[in-house]
Amino acid sequence: MSTEITSAAEAEAEAASDRPSSGPTQRVRRSLPRLGMDRFSGLYVLVVLVVIYGLWLPDTFLTSETARSVAAGQAITAIVALALVVPLAAGAFDLSVAATLGFSVCLVSWLQGHHTNPILSVLIALAVGVLIGAVNGFVVVVLRVNSFIGTLGMSSLLAAASYWITGGRTLISGFSPALLKAGRAQPVSIPVTVWYLAGVALVLWFVLEHTPAGRYFYAVGANPQAARLAGLRVDRVIVRSLIIAGFLSALGGAILAAQLGLGSPDVGPPYLLPAFSAAFLGATQIKSGRVNVVGTLVAVYLLGVGVKGLQLAGAPSYVSDLFNGGALIIAVALAARASRK
Amino acid sequence: MSRSVPALSVQGLAKSFGGAKALRGVNVEIAPGEIHALVGENGSGKSTLVKSLSGFHTPDPGGIVRVGGNDLTFGDPDASRAAGLRFVHQDLGLVEELSCTENLALGRGFTTGFGRRIHWRAEHEAAKQALNSLGYQIDVRRPIGRLSVSERTAVAIARATSTQHGHTHLIVLDEPTVNLPKAEIDRMLDLFRVIRDRGVALIFISHHLDEIFELADRVTVLRDGEVVASRAVAELDQDSLIELMLGRSLRTVQGLRASSAGAPVLTATGVSGQVVRDVSFTVHAGEVVGIAGITGSGRDELARLISGGERFTGRVEVDGRSLPTNRPDAFIRAGVVAVPADRKPNAVLPEHTVRENITISDLSPYLSWGALRRSAERSDVRTLLDNFDIRPANQEGLIGSLSGGNQQKVMLARAMRLHPRVLLLDEPTQGVDVGAQAEVHRLIRSSVAEGLGVLACSSSSEELSEIADRVLIMRGGRVVNELSAPLRADDISAATLSAQKETA
Repeated sequence: MSTEITSAAEAEAEAASDRPSSGPTQRVRRSLPRLGMDRFSGLYVLVVLVVIYGLWLPDTFLTSETARSVAAGQAITAIVALALVVPLAAGAFDLSVAATLGFSVCLVSWLQGHHTNPILSVLIALAVGVLIGAVNGFVVVVLRVNSFIGTLGMSSLLAAASYWITGGRTLISGFSPALLKAGRAQPVSIPVTVWYLAGVALVLWFVLEHTPAGRYFYAVGANPQAARLAGLRVDRVIVRSLIIAGFLSALGGAILAAQLGLGSPDVGPPYLLPAFSAAFLGATQIKSGRVNVVGTLVAVYLLGVGVKGLQLAGAPSYVSDLFNGGALIIAVALAARASRK
Repeated sequence: MSRSVPALSVQGLAKSFGGAKALRGVNVEIAPGEIHALVGENGSGKSTLVKSLSGFHTPDPGGIVRVGGNDLTFGDPDASRAAGLRFVHQDLGLVEELSCTENLALGRGFTTGFGRRIHWRAEHEAAKQALNSLGYQIDVRRPIGRLSVSERTAVAIARATSTQHGHTHLIVLDEPTVNLPKAEIDRMLDLFRVIRDRGVALIFISHHLDEIFELADRVTVLRDGEVVASRAVAELDQDSLIELMLGRSLRTVQGLRASSAGAPVLTATGVSGQVVRDVSFTVHAGEVVGIAGITGSGRDELARLISGGERFTGRVEVDGRSLPTNRPDAFIRAGVVAVPADRKPNAVLPEHTVRENITISDLSPYLSWGALRRSAERSDVRTLLDNFDIRPANQEGLIGSLSGGNQQKVMLARAMRLHPRVLLLDEPTQGVDVGAQAEVHRLIRSSVAEGLGVLACSSSSEELSEIADRVLIMRGGRVVNELSAPLRADDISAATLSAQKETA
């Protein structure tokens, strides 16, 4: 028995898949930009969600307590997602952001348990974050390992390191009151983590949108060969993006440690998927086709509100995973559709 | 099969695209076991003829093609294959990661046993036999990517001539020897002779005239879609063949001329790359130095080397300072700015605006306190769009929304904005319409008048004759000749084809 695969048939199949699909989807696509649906669809959906939940659960959802808890609960996710935005802009994946966050939480907790000055503890964690980013950069740029694989490996190494320094236990002793205050205060009755997020987002937004460095990240992500021939040091740009991701993830970890007052190897990993969902969903927002800071923030809070409302309505806890996983796939599908236009 | 039946007989074959006639009543006859060279300048109709035979194009009605005595149905690749025509293109169509055996099975599938298990031992043995009969001893389990080019060609030919699709009457070899060292070419020519000795006819397309004289029995010359000659190779020599291709007699080629341009700005000394061997030249301020050469001569590689885009040995100096290899950024800082060929992979930042594409190479003029002043950038870009006549003059539009010619002007604007001392152009008007070509040429010439030095590599002799002050001719990786004004396109073409006119 033999199979016949003619090259002509292959060529035909290829041509068929290249052909733009016609019909209803195209009509919808054409009418979308007019409403601004493309760029601001996330904001519209967010408003719709708030209205629906507000009518459905007026007593529990429409409270300042809920607003505070969503804002604070999503702040760390948002910082990790923003950390991810930088390497994604430069065309590199960083799957180690959540593990870096987790290790940073454990490291700060461990240092607190050993009576280290709280400021020094945080600085050490940040330095380790930079180091992790630099090692990622070395692996990707010098060893030429695909960033997806390289940072996946780093993520596993960091998971191991987190178990090692905590001994697999939850570290709760020795947290300095000053550090806990820095993580739990509510200036102007807004949780302090939200203020940290605002600061990170503002600085990152400025860097990505208003400095040459930001332009370089996007240029390298768009076409590394063209960027190199236009005079950019592509390898350096990629390393820099991974170092920023490591630094911001470690910062998120330090803030989370201060907020929780504990460190455990289980803290970090659950942040990975929501961060990716938000970054990719964010790429369909505000500046369509590019990962960007404002879009990512919109996406984080869209996902956060969606999950929170369902939880208040009595949905089981796994709804969060369901929501984030679905959002990731839909976001990437939307982005793929946008790039086909 | 009788010897008297030609392997291929083409009578009155014509093909027009819109109003343009690419082929006008072509007649060719090729006997079994004959190696038949097909030559002609770019645009002479070679590839249209080949694509008409392969079923890619449907020729105009009236023409007749017979393969082994049977009429060929036009416009159907399957019919062409069934009739016994095979095509081996320059890229060979092999999958690098797969083994020889697997590549041979592509397109026909494996013989399988119970449970669709592949009989690997039998497959490997068959593959070995097929390659042995072509004179190649290859470990058929090795991936194709590890083989030399002549070995790969052997695999491609073995696949093309496999008996799966019936008897092979004729194989068309489209520039199989491009970019190869001499030893590999010799081995490949031997391979073609083995095929010929089996009674299969070969159409051999090559720009390398010496290979044609070494290998071919007969040669057909196409010019403007017509057959101007179809003769035994023994009746011709290189000069007469070039004259047939160009359609006029050769003039004596001018010798070297001392340059009257300004001070030297860029000096290359003994530069070598993959193909380029020991090339030296100087570009002066206020002159355009053209680089001409056929495909595989090293012309395109030289452009990439001198832009700093690839590794080279030797020295490239600007103002006596030697530039590091493989560092486009260092070249740009030294004032050597390139507009690369193949805009899409090498130059365009997709999903970026025209403004971002123009300014990416240097953002420092717009910097104040670490931030980009968008207004300064915008007014700068507005001026450039105007100077380079880029339309539509919408700097916030995405680069992909511009026509090819306007995209090329954006790339030129990106380079010229840096006020280079040397501008390096590689196929400056590739994929650019005629009107925009003239525009690009005008822009280049006006900058040269202001003291810019230009190195322009182009496969178009017409283009070089229009913009260059002198033209270096490359062949086999070396500069073998230099032409100076008055430049004529025909002279440049002739010089790139003729190996015997070496004066260096």
